[in-house]
Amino acid sequence: MLFKKLFRLLVLGGAMVGSASGCAGTGQTLAASDKKPEGRDGGADADGGTAKAQDGDGGTADAGGGVTGW
Amino acid sequence: MNGGPRRAAGEAWAFRARVEREAARRFERLGAAISAFDPGSPVPALLDRAAGDERRHAALCAELCVAYGQPVDDGVAEEPIAPASLGPRAAVLYEMVAACCLTETESVATLATLLSEEAEPRVREVLHEIARDEVVHSRMGWAHLAREAAAHDVSFLSAWIPSMLSGTVDEGLFTRDEPEPDAEALLRHGVLPRSRKREIFVRTLEEVVLPGLERLGVDAGPARAWLAKRSS
Repeated sequence: MLFKKLFRLLVLGGAMVGSASGCAGTGQTLAASDKKPEGRDGGADADGGTAKAQDGDGGTADAGGGVTGW
Repeated sequence: MNGGPRRAAGEAWAFRARVEREAARRFERLGAAISAFDPGSPVPALLDRAAGDERRHAALCAELCVAYGQPVDDGVAEEPIAPASLGPRAAVLYEMVAACCLTETESVATLATLLSEEAEPRVREVLHEIARDEVVHSRMGWAHLAREAAAHDVSFLSAWIPSMLSGTVDEGLFTRDEPEPDAEALLRHGVLPRSRKREIFVRTLEEVVLPGLERLGVDAGPARAWLAKRSS
């Protein structure tokens, strides 16, 4: 019950706030060529691993992080 | 309360004070960035207010940290977390999803759970004040994602959600399973036992965050695989 309520309150409520003032402008694109991790050079393992890209030497070429919370 | 449990409670509140200070810094930075490409968005004003909320929360957490006999660390380690390969606007979206859709949503569930338990009066007051604000902080992420999804293809986020999750939660949450003899005592002081924290984290992910992402055009497959690997 808590989780259904949270979905409505946070997800649906938030999406409503976002759409209340029209749409976001499209002038600046998300730069499709540089946004998606692909395979070995990109990120997520097929098995849902940590999505850290590795360069040829096994070092991290590109990686995203997360935000620690409560 | 004395000894180990008192120290554990103090350390938990010290950790939270640092998390709140870092959130204040992050929200200020993201608010300025969003204003630059989406001046009609209501999100920057919410982020500005949220930065003030987080500074107030940090002070509340620090107060409890000191009350439990732990020193307050004033350091702030906040820095951008998006992959270097993302363009500036995609990087802002990455951070908003990581910080608000994931972390703040998980925080709301944690706070709601703590508030459903018996707690010391001052702890309860602090939890209540923080919970009220965290609802808005979570919504900011869903609001921004909804706006961006209406303007662009946001499906690229799908492959990055596992990175966000790995950075959000300590792997020990899934691997450590030792007994927690002080769990009941700590609950009264605002600290969830690890098993309970894991349950809340997983259910919030499965029933709130992942359905929310899917609703807004982000495939949750990689995130579900990340979770399955840790839950098995």
